[in-house]
Amino acid sequence: MATLNDLKISEIKLSESEGGKWGMVIDQDICTGCQACVAACAMENNISFVGEVDAGYGRSMHWIRIERFWEGEYPEVKMTPNQPMMCQQCGAAPCEPVCPAFATVHSLAEKVNLQVYNRCVGTRYCANNCPYQVRSFNWRDYERPEPLPNQLNPDVTVRRRGIMEKCTFCIQRIHHAQDQAKAEGREVMDGEFTTACAQVCPANAITFGRMDDPQSLVSQLAKRRGGMKMHEDLGTLPVVTYFKGG
Amino acid sequence: MADHNHHAEHAEAHFREKHLMLDPLPRGQMNDMVMEAMTEKPTWKFWLIFGILAAITAYGLFYSWGVMIAEGLGVAGVNRPSYWGIFLVNTVFWIGISHAGTFISAILRVFKAEFRRPFTRAAELMTTFGLVQAGFSIFMHMGRVWLSYWLMPYPNQRMLWPNFHSPLSWDLLAITTYLLSSTMYLFLPLIPDVAMARDRSTGWRKSFYKVLALGFRGTEGEWAHLRNAMNIFAFAIIPVMFSVHTIVSWDFAVATRPGWSSTIFGPYFIVGALHSGMGAAAIVLAVIQGTMKHMKYFVRAEHFDAIGKLMLIISMAWAYFFFNDYMVQWYGGDSWTDQLLHFHEYGPLGWMWFAMLICNVAVPWLILWNARWRATPWLIATVGIIINVGMWFERYIIIPVSLAINRMPFTWRLYEPGIEIPLGIGTLAFFILLYMAASKLIPLIPVWEVQEGQMAHELKKFGRETVVTVSELE
Amino acid sequence: MAESNVVDILAVFPDLEPTANAIEHLRSLGVHDECMNIISGVPVTEPMLGRPHQWTNVPRIAMGGAILGFLGGAFLSFVVPYLYPYPIQVSSQYPVPGPPTVVVLFELTMLGMLLSTFLGVFLDSYFPNYRPMKYVPEVSDGKYAILVECPHVEEKKITDALKKLGAESVRPAEAQHL
Repeated sequence: MATLNDLKISEIKLSESEGGKWGMVIDQDICTGCQACVAACAMENNISFVGEVDAGYGRSMHWIRIERFWEGEYPEVKMTPNQPMMCQQCGAAPCEPVCPAFATVHSLAEKVNLQVYNRCVGTRYCANNCPYQVRSFNWRDYERPEPLPNQLNPDVTVRRRGIMEKCTFCIQRIHHAQDQAKAEGREVMDGEFTTACAQVCPANAITFGRMDDPQSLVSQLAKRRGGMKMHEDLGTLPVVTYFKGG
Repeated sequence: MADHNHHAEHAEAHFREKHLMLDPLPRGQMNDMVMEAMTEKPTWKFWLIFGILAAITAYGLFYSWGVMIAEGLGVAGVNRPSYWGIFLVNTVFWIGISHAGTFISAILRVFKAEFRRPFTRAAELMTTFGLVQAGFSIFMHMGRVWLSYWLMPYPNQRMLWPNFHSPLSWDLLAITTYLLSSTMYLFLPLIPDVAMARDRSTGWRKSFYKVLALGFRGTEGEWAHLRNAMNIFAFAIIPVMFSVHTIVSWDFAVATRPGWSSTIFGPYFIVGALHSGMGAAAIVLAVIQGTMKHMKYFVRAEHFDAIGKLMLIISMAWAYFFFNDYMVQWYGGDSWTDQLLHFHEYGPLGWMWFAMLICNVAVPWLILWNARWRATPWLIATVGIIINVGMWFERYIIIPVSLAINRMPFTWRLYEPGIEIPLGIGTLAFFILLYMAASKLIPLIPVWEVQEGQMAHELKKFGRETVVTVSELE
Repeated sequence: MAESNVVDILAVFPDLEPTANAIEHLRSLGVHDECMNIISGVPVTEPMLGRPHQWTNVPRIAMGGAILGFLGGAFLSFVVPYLYPYPIQVSSQYPVPGPPTVVVLFELTMLGMLLSTFLGVFLDSYFPNYRPMKYVPEVSDGKYAILVECPHVEEKKITDALKKLGAESVRPAEAQHL
């Protein structure tokens, strides 16, 4: 049974505001918008393909998406840097407290935002309350034509209709690396593994790793000048740092 | 002198015609009227409407819901970013309707507003049946409704409990409390009336009322317990009613969304609920008076007049809260909120925003100031319908229209309703269906309350003027 | 046998005034207040009939229910968050969040209170009760009935007195199915 002393919120909040445990840096200036991360993420995490009708109606299910904008009026338009957007794994996530079933909670060990698929009843409050709009809902049981079922990742649950899902920072990979390191009696090394999106990015625009290790590549990159957190003014303490116009 | 007497008699007759409370009938006769209104053989028109509504309910509510459960919420219009659509619009709408019942039967009872007497039950029925539809709407909205029992706090092997940080959990507690207590509050004053019905019916009705009357005789003890309980209910259900719609408003107000996070949403929603609820009460009263036997005796111009005044005052209060909310959002200068407000007014659904103001403010203000218009049943029922349309628009603007705009412009998208439409019409049909059935099964007029009121009222002369006085019997 | 010595008389009066007079007269004839009961179709207060105050447990039962409801709310608010094997963390909120706790406590207190008020009526009035009872259906038409319990020897005296006081009918009460 947990006691109040096990959980010193002020400390948690403080440590989260220092950058959490796992983190990501995205360099928008070198992102080509090739969508490889989107595809890799879908493969890694068994994300359904919703088909063009539903996708056209705003029901596409991607845990990461490339946002493209332009400035000015046609024909004087200028593209702005591509913006890959995924769950920001907020330290103080607005999605968590509003779920009536505790289906989305904060992981005290990994300091990421968890989604418990089999506890979700589908009120979709979390998605409404997400300032980043990065949650995907299973509007239907989407068909997975042959031979795609053979490609399913056995480490990741396949979700059915009525369930919310979102980027987990490839938590299955985190756990795999931790188990491996534990078996070999060592710590997880920086760069030993990475998320699917970072792994496939041909331009190396995505870097993932330990934020609480000042020597890691990701924390080195995050410390550079000009980094910014998405909607930082909301106080959600996101762990993804964006660079653009550098 | 003779002329003067004649004048006084005339005034008395005028008062009697005007006020139900001054126009007493022998109790037996009044019982007969209420019984006849209830047991009168339904006409073919009644059965036709009943059949059509039953068909709409079966298709709109149950079949469509079945399809949605089997297929998933994809058959509805919800999408990203409008994760909440008409389901929650209807939930808020029906909870709003339910507020009128408690307002009439509890607040007006506490403040001893005598005009309430003949229609407290009609209003309480609206509360209970409206909450049933709200319940349907909220369950429809869930992605995995078959697991909805997970939201109930019950001990289980895995020791999983609901999250009481979530406004939806408060909603569950508050709506459950409100549904149970308003049903009990409907039932308690009904006991003496079903006892009356038991004494004057035969056949299946006799057995039905016998069970429902619980063996009530009207002894001093029974009345004392009942009076005490109704008194406790009348006071305690008022804060429960306020809490319900405040919590519903918190579903939106606690969210980190432009347009939603507003501290005034609680009272604004309560006033909005009463606005649509009083409108619905006017419709129900006009229908009852127009279609049921003897109801012209019980429901008179004075009642429409009183409801009309309440509607006007509530409309003003709604405008006040709306403007308050709008002013602060507008002045804040937050760019997301600015874009949302612009989208409300000049977006593709801007017509709805202006229609909302016309229906909720302009129409009531232009019509309800006139006493003669207020007392015209068809006119006030029409205003009631217009207000309800306006209030539905208001909830539609607050939920799916506001959801279309958020802090990630990449995801901005309009919401287009799908299966929500038959489902919503289904709840409306089911509401009317339940009401029609109830009007044939339970005495719609609380006879003993009317009788009690008639005992308390009398005419008194002050100098040359005859006035209505009422004594406090309790 | 004491019971067979006692009879119940049911007198029906057309109005409030003669009923109150009859009660007063019965008292002067030596009928104790506890041996009388008034049945009416509208609620009449005790002072109107000159009757002693009716004891009711409903407010006390309501209070008891409110306390139980509050305790239930307290369990959900203060105990349940610590029943999990691991602490559950949502956002930066405490396991026992302040303002939401007020909401839970309020709702469950009200639920407990109102449920038990309802239950209190059932307990105090012995509802539901479908056994045969002493009753005249005329009371639901606005008549007032006095149910008098008196020794067998006084039956005639009391019956005559009630008739003289304006009772429409006086008869020995018989329990019947309602």
